[in-house]
Amino acid sequence: MLVNKLPLFNTVWIVFVKEVLCEYRTGYALATLVMFALVTLSSIGMSIAGIPLSSELTSVLLWVIIFFCAMAGLGRTFIEEEETGTVFTLRLYFHYQGIILGKMLYNITLLVGITCLILPLFTIFLQVEFPSWGALLPVLLLGDIGIGVVSTLMAAILKSAMGKHSLFTILTFPIVLPQFLSAINATSAVLSGRGPTISEILAMLGYDSIMILAGYMFFEFIWHE
Amino acid sequence: MTLHVTVELVNVGKNYNCKTVFQGVNALIGPGRCLGITGPNGSGKTTLLNLIAGIEQPSEGYICMRGTQGEIKHREIVGYVGMVSPQIRFYDAMTGVENIMFFSYCSRRNCNVKQVQEVCRKVGLGGCSHQLVSTYSTGMKQRLKLAIVLLLQPALWLLDEPSSNLDASGKELVEESMTRALQDGATVIVATNEGWESRHASEQITLI
Repeated sequence: MLVNKLPLFNTVWIVFVKEVLCEYRTGYALATLVMFALVTLSSIGMSIAGIPLSSELTSVLLWVIIFFCAMAGLGRTFIEEEETGTVFTLRLYFHYQGIILGKMLYNITLLVGITCLILPLFTIFLQVEFPSWGALLPVLLLGDIGIGVVSTLMAAILKSAMGKHSLFTILTFPIVLPQFLSAINATSAVLSGRGPTISEILAMLGYDSIMILAGYMFFEFIWHE
Repeated sequence: MTLHVTVELVNVGKNYNCKTVFQGVNALIGPGRCLGITGPNGSGKTTLLNLIAGIEQPSEGYICMRGTQGEIKHREIVGYVGMVSPQIRFYDAMTGVENIMFFSYCSRRNCNVKQVQEVCRKVGLGGCSHQLVSTYSTGMKQRLKLAIVLLLQPALWLLDEPSSNLDASGKELVEESMTRALQDGATVIVATNEGWESRHASEQITLI
């Protein structure tokens, strides 16, 4: 089989590089994400104005900002391909598994990047101190991976749907909810100083693995629908 | 050219909702042969090409593709097909060279910039291959579609009105490319209403 002679990794990397190159030249998704993050953070920061928040409320605010940033920008990956018509060319010349994994990798990278921007601003605006950055970073990374993977899959499913932009958030939220709640609990545990338990981390890791595997296995049906 | 493909259409039909676009299409076309598909606008020429490319599925009948190593499964078609079609779109934020490299890498060919520039020169895009596709005219984009097919040298060429939007030199290029492909043993299927484009066709399907 000709296509299989090209290692999957290469195809994933090519899709990732293409996404980065197009984003670098247009900046649509990044600008949306950054603007959303800045506006939300400054609004929350000004309205709270130094009022001390519980660890639970602080972690909810952090993950709500990250989630809605993702909803504002990550859906573009497939929807834009559909709107510009390049999805036809991709279907013609591309092996489908490389596309989904490449786009997942790009969306995760974008979300991790935006989280790196949000985090220092969040600590400044809300005057939050994280007792252990070492415990926080794996939680953020696993949470970002979960949201990035599910957003990519939902964008692929909804690419041809009517009202795809509004449906994207509505349908992504229930699927990402288990990871969202785990991330909030684990972040709250970090803020309270006790740190996340191994079972919380494993649950997040398990969710991410299942979603990546599901995307890899079922994308063929989504792609050819 | 080391790959050869035989395409067989058996009682192929396509419906959209309750509307029948065409039905009962039968054909057999082998390496070094050309199949012409003609018919008025809306008769389903483009749809039939999309079915053969594996982008859509037939509502009735089936399409069987056989290569040198036996039947080619649906998911393997990607490595065998090259297409020139009005439905093909490129990334406006990438240059002509980048688009060609992206699609050819992902199809089956590991090509270098020199090879891509050579094929761009061949299709008349030599001077603007490093410009963004957003600056290309419709005719230049048509040449870019042909450049990918020429670089890939696929076993199955699917051409949907390949000379549309092209000037005289572009039409000559299409003619030369089709002749060369058939000499190399490619299977060529062309959907057109231009007499000269289908003059290579040894088989004809007329959709009504």
